Amino acid sequence: MGDLTMLDFTAYALQVLLIIMAIAIVVHKNNGTIIILITTFSLITASLYVINRAPDVAIAEVAIGSAIIPLIYVISISRQREFIVLDKAMDDFIISDNTFTGRGYILLKRFTDYYHLELNLCNDVRLCSLGSGKDQKLCEDTNVDLIVSHDEERGVYVLKGKASSILMNKLEQMAKDYDDIEVIKFKDRDFGD
Amino acid sequence: MDPLLTFIVILIGFYGLATSTNIIKSVFCVTIIESGVILLFLNMGNLDGGRIPVDIIPDTLIADPLPQALMITTIVIGSTVTSLSLMLCIKVFHHFGSVEWVDVLGMERGR
Amino acid sequence: MILKSSSSRIVISVIKHIVLIGMLGFLFYVFFGAYENLEALYNTFGKDYFSRYAEAETGSKNLVTSILLDYRLFDSLFEAGILLIAVSGVIWISRHEIEEKNAQFMIDKFKTPDLFVTFSRLVYPLMLAFGFYVIINGHLSPGGGFQGGAIVATAILILYYIDAEKDTNINLIVTVEKYIYIAILLLATASYFTRGAFFTNVFPLESSADAKSIYLVVLNVLIGFKVALGLWAIFTAFLKEGR
Repeated sequence: MGDLTMLDFTAYALQVLLIIMAIAIVVHKNNGTIIILITTFSLITASLYVINRAPDVAIAEVAIGSAIIPLIYVISISRQREFIVLDKAMDDFIISDNTFTGRGYILLKRFTDYYHLELNLCNDVRLCSLGSGKDQKLCEDTNVDLIVSHDEERGVYVLKGKASSILMNKLEQMAKDYDDIEVIKFKDRDFGD
Repeated sequence: MDPLLTFIVILIGFYGLATSTNIIKSVFCVTIIESGVILLFLNMGNLDGGRIPVDIIPDTLIADPLPQALMITTIVIGSTVTSLSLMLCIKVFHHFGSVEWVDVLGMERGR
Repeated sequence: MILKSSSSRIVISVIKHIVLIGMLGFLFYVFFGAYENLEALYNTFGKDYFSRYAEAETGSKNLVTSILLDYRLFDSLFEAGILLIAVSGVIWISRHEIEEKNAQFMIDKFKTPDLFVTFSRLVYPLMLAFGFYVIINGHLSPGGGFQGGAIVATAILILYYIDAEKDTNINLIVTVEKYIYIAILLLATASYFTRGAFFTNVFPLESSADAKSIYLVVLNVLIGFKVALGLWAIFTAFLKEGR
């Protein structure tokens, strides 16, 4: 251990930093912060590859670990913070006078705030024009979480979602107080086929 | 003592994998283990020191090129494995409404 | 009663952590023992062989490329195959039968800053050129098909920052990738007719290093395109999911 060169010293310092980074990633609770940490982690490992005489591996690690991996982490984490609602009713249940003040919007906003989710409303014409018989297929195939529609005969608003989602159970409890809101849960197929 | 410090990184990854409650967190820990394994291979190929295995002078000390060639493929494979598991993770959230292991496994058993 | 159950749960979790740390410590102890007796299993035969003969046998100055594309081409081929299978898996999981999966949202709209767009336009051709440089010089300097393909894929990713609404036909990408993979397999098996052995250099062993490097460059370019297309397909699938 007597003759430590500068390169050896750098290698030891980076390895200790790597251990600290790994502990930080394991201990941290917020997934958004971990993306920054994992990018730093991969850059430190890339410099360690160079010190270990492997420039080929370092090039591959920098190219993949600096852009593509953080991107797919960001996308998959941001997808888990939103709740997508398809508005088929097209009346003042959600939007009244071009502002979000309808009763349904307030209910959904309270629900998503409870779970720290972001409420995303969409009223795509092509998706809305599909018949109500296709609602279950729509829910399974697309990333729509909830479908709002208006039943003209009984005069109730119907919220449709998947039975397998724990979010729907909570929404059912919250919607009990309203008389004209009904929650329907699809019995869906097995996951994966 | 380089390989020992690298092995500690792998063990931290295993600890995180065993104690994580979130699916995304498990994927992060798999990434840590993978980086640690790559670094361990490169450390083992570079125990004697030596030069980079590019444009070498004959009969000089070089780092072992075989682990490096294997680890390049490991990095590309690792990125695809990460992307595959994250895509599954998105689908799991869409299906169950949660990415906590407790909720997902509980829903599976409840049905 | 509730307090008792929660405290007992804390005790159980502490015991679990202690057992886990004990197991990991045992693993570390085993590894430490193996590291102490490293002389029993460490040798330099392979390293010496590569340093003495690799450049003459494969015509590559970069020994890593000579292993990837000549000595262990079999591994690299099926690594590329695994990449293809993983890409197919990602696309199959994110498939959708109803047209236009992601609808337009009413509230939020993704907008890239103008400064970032301008800078991306400046950097994009440079990154693409650097990627091709790394691919083509894979047998002379650090680099090669896998690394250069990843750099080219990153450069293509910048295109999506410039134009977020860019539409890509993901099936066409995977189809081209499959044909390139078949071309790689054909080029790798062509050595059976010239040398009498599968998965090695097409040119005979006695030919000059320049002739051998033709094969290395062609295979590097094919692998580079394949990896770039595979990663492009992966992040296109993710961007479609997240948009």
